[in-house]
Amino acid sequence: MRMSLTGWLLRSSALLLWVYISNGFGLAGGTPQYVLTNDDVPPFFTSGVTFFTVGAGGALTLKEQVSTEASGTGGGFFATSRLAVLDSASAQCVYASNAGAGDIVGIDISTLQIGGTASGSSTDTGISNGIGLVMNPQYLYASFTDVNTIGTFQVQPGCSLTFVNDVSVGGLQGGFITSMAINGSTLVATYGDGSIESFNISSGTPVSNGDKQNSTAYLSSQGATYPNGIDITKDGHYVIFGDTSTDSVVEISDISGGKLSPTVSYTTGHTINSSNVMLSPDETLLYISDSQGDRISAAFFDASTGTLSGKGCASGRLKNYDTDWTYTASLGLASTTGTGSVLYVAEFGNTSSIAMVQVSSSGGKCTLTEMAKSPVTDTYSSWLLSITTFPPRPF
Amino acid sequence: MRSFSRFSMAIAVCGISFASAVAQCPARPQPGTVLQDTLSLNSQNGALNAAFTLAHSVDSNGYTHYCYKYNSSGQVIEAPTLRLNPGDHLLLHVTDAITTPGPQSASSMDMTSPPGTVACGDGGTATINSTNVHFHGLNIPPTCHQDDVLTTLIQPGTSGFQFDTQIPLAEPPGLYWYHPHVHGFTEFQVNGGAAGALIVNGMEKYRPEVVGLTERVFVVRQQFLVPWVPGPYQLTVNFETAGSIQGPAPIIQMKPGEKQFWRVANATLQSFMPLQIWFDSVPQPMQLVALDGYPLAQSRTTDTILIPPAGRAEFIVQAPTSTSQSADFMVLNYNTGPTGNADIEQPLATIQLVNTASAPAASPVAAAAAPASQSNLKFSGLASATVTATRSLYFSEEFGGTNGPIQFYITVDGQKQKVFEPNEKPAITTNVGAVEDWTIENHALETHAFHIHQIHFMMLEVNGKAVANQDFRDTIEIPYWTGKGPYPSVKVRMDFRDPTTAGTFVFHCHILLHEDLGMMHKIQVLP
Repeated sequence: MRMSLTGWLLRSSALLLWVYISNGFGLAGGTPQYVLTNDDVPPFFTSGVTFFTVGAGGALTLKEQVSTEASGTGGGFFATSRLAVLDSASAQCVYASNAGAGDIVGIDISTLQIGGTASGSSTDTGISNGIGLVMNPQYLYASFTDVNTIGTFQVQPGCSLTFVNDVSVGGLQGGFITSMAINGSTLVATYGDGSIESFNISSGTPVSNGDKQNSTAYLSSQGATYPNGIDITKDGHYVIFGDTSTDSVVEISDISGGKLSPTVSYTTGHTINSSNVMLSPDETLLYISDSQGDRISAAFFDASTGTLSGKGCASGRLKNYDTDWTYTASLGLASTTGTGSVLYVAEFGNTSSIAMVQVSSSGGKCTLTEMAKSPVTDTYSSWLLSITTFPPRPF
Repeated sequence: MRSFSRFSMAIAVCGISFASAVAQCPARPQPGTVLQDTLSLNSQNGALNAAFTLAHSVDSNGYTHYCYKYNSSGQVIEAPTLRLNPGDHLLLHVTDAITTPGPQSASSMDMTSPPGTVACGDGGTATINSTNVHFHGLNIPPTCHQDDVLTTLIQPGTSGFQFDTQIPLAEPPGLYWYHPHVHGFTEFQVNGGAAGALIVNGMEKYRPEVVGLTERVFVVRQQFLVPWVPGPYQLTVNFETAGSIQGPAPIIQMKPGEKQFWRVANATLQSFMPLQIWFDSVPQPMQLVALDGYPLAQSRTTDTILIPPAGRAEFIVQAPTSTSQSADFMVLNYNTGPTGNADIEQPLATIQLVNTASAPAASPVAAAAAPASQSNLKFSGLASATVTATRSLYFSEEFGGTNGPIQFYITVDGQKQKVFEPNEKPAITTNVGAVEDWTIENHALETHAFHIHQIHFMMLEVNGKAVANQDFRDTIEIPYWTGKGPYPSVKVRMDFRDPTTAGTFVFHCHILLHEDLGMMHKIQVLP
């Protein structure tokens, strides 16, 4: 049963007030807190970004889909983030890539209107596996996974972009770029052939730090494991890689010296493919999406030493696995502090959805419990891989 | 990366195929018509001598055809059934007449063999236009001109290649099949229909239940518009499209109450086929007499027969007695797991009752001169043979994304997971005389079909429990892992006692995409 607009507004306002006061989930300003999806649907369909408002206890309510007026591809690399959020003093934008059309669309979060659309060079495309996005307040970087380029776009007012240039990249064995992460002046990339590389982006365009290397787990597994998803600690000291594997492998590299050090490999034991990883805001937990399976897990992380420890914890089988959805992909968090409180998980399938998992952690133990109202269906996509949150995690 | 390039290649093939529709292959039957058995070529005076040309074309619906063409008195027949007796020689000349233009012909697979290995056939680089032939299930040597898929290549534009092998005297009578097996490109050609039945005569000597029955041979194939792109597929029976919402089912004609002996080969790329006979939508009993070309120790009655990709089943079907009953030859839904492909329920054929005069012309199985004992067949006595080694293997998969790259592994426990490379060393080395028990687990969230060349194996256990029937198989399904609990497994007994097993051959998943992408390794049997 649908609620009337007036009723919805009244209840929403009350909820927001209550959230702000009691739970710390809301925003002080007028912009709601959102979970965003990139509904990257195949050619002949129109993609868009769906906005879910975050309510009490992290509950999600569909607000609307903003059409990005172009087609996507429907699936692709698990760890290619197809959304990037800008939350600066002057602008609040979400950028979404359309893999089918090869362009990037900026949406003003305060108005939910498209600010602009930008494309890379004439050969830049990611139609097979997606176009990945990361950004800082000055530049947005797009990984065109089909042609192995990183496009640099300058952020413009009104959530628009200007294409600057692109640079060719590639793995040691010729692998295609699968994921990127940035922190300060560093951009880190993974390639689908087991190699990793960092770049200096202090002048805008990425310049390799000359540290391209095969990961430790890739070498020890003779190619059966390779880094895919990436996160970087708040201080930029450590880079964490979630590996595509038949096991649950996470690798950590020290980049404090300006180059990636050889990775240290961990097998966390809870999943069978750990392609997507994300640190909690307080950096005590590393969340791992079981991309090829039915659950998510968390490992304890020590940001001072860059190490994983303890047994961590895993959720049970997330609801509707193997009936509505098949893969888990990217992660988001309800809160920008602490453990993040509620973990959002993109579920890819015939009926794509967002799982909501309550996080609890104390005394060296943690639990991950899927919430009663989970999952929330993303009615606009059967191919959901990328979600993010607004406001974003602060690093 | 490999998946990506193959995805791109598939797109290219699709595009080029539409652009180069040259009708090299014979027309296939119209949907909804009476199902005919394919022409049989029978051995004479101890030999079957035939010549096939593998050609290629695209039909009006965009489906690519790869066809084994046989010239029969000026008429071109597609993929005839080969029939031989134990001890007969098979002399099969295969010419590659594929003339696919475009970029996909440049896609190649390194078929470089280890040093000291002599190339068989035309040599060169394997491309999508190269071919060879695997005689699936036949217990014949893995050597050049017989059943070698590791070094044999037949290239377009050459004079072709002569296969010359002898059906062993102790070969189990039953249904086998032949198909191309060029690593990296098998799926394309089998998807196009390059597959046919091969029958070793003599089933009636071991399973007298079939004596006097009308025999039908049904080869179920599968075609995708582009085999690497998930999407709708068509099943065909003897090249006639199976029933679906798009069209009527083929018609099998039987007399009321008649028993027939059906020999069904699953020549699909990936479909697991639970078969049933329905009367008014109610499953009926079938009398199963052989699996994978090996007569059962005792026939048994069942209402469902599961045939994995590449498997075969031979069974007796009885028609309804009344025309008021509808009768269908069904394949049921099969859940291949979260990362597997959907195998959907559909009628393979509708059974139509006819009178004697209009019954299809098919050869009844001859009466046996004398029953024979299964102790005469290969692998007899295996149950009580001394086991010389045990091994554990497992299937696993890793997905970098929904569209790939996906790595498909079959791994000998203790070794590193790696995809097959033609120039790799054997993953397993054993000796002639060995009898080995292999436990094969499935660590993947998708059902796999284990197949080994050159020999049949004896079923021992499923999921750690002894099987009720120690059937001999050459292909067996291992259901998907759910993500928790013990891995699904089968335990089988491998028989390398026969000196003709000496050589190097392969074991792999018979989902052909998986095999093409490397879910395969070599075994070397030392003399």
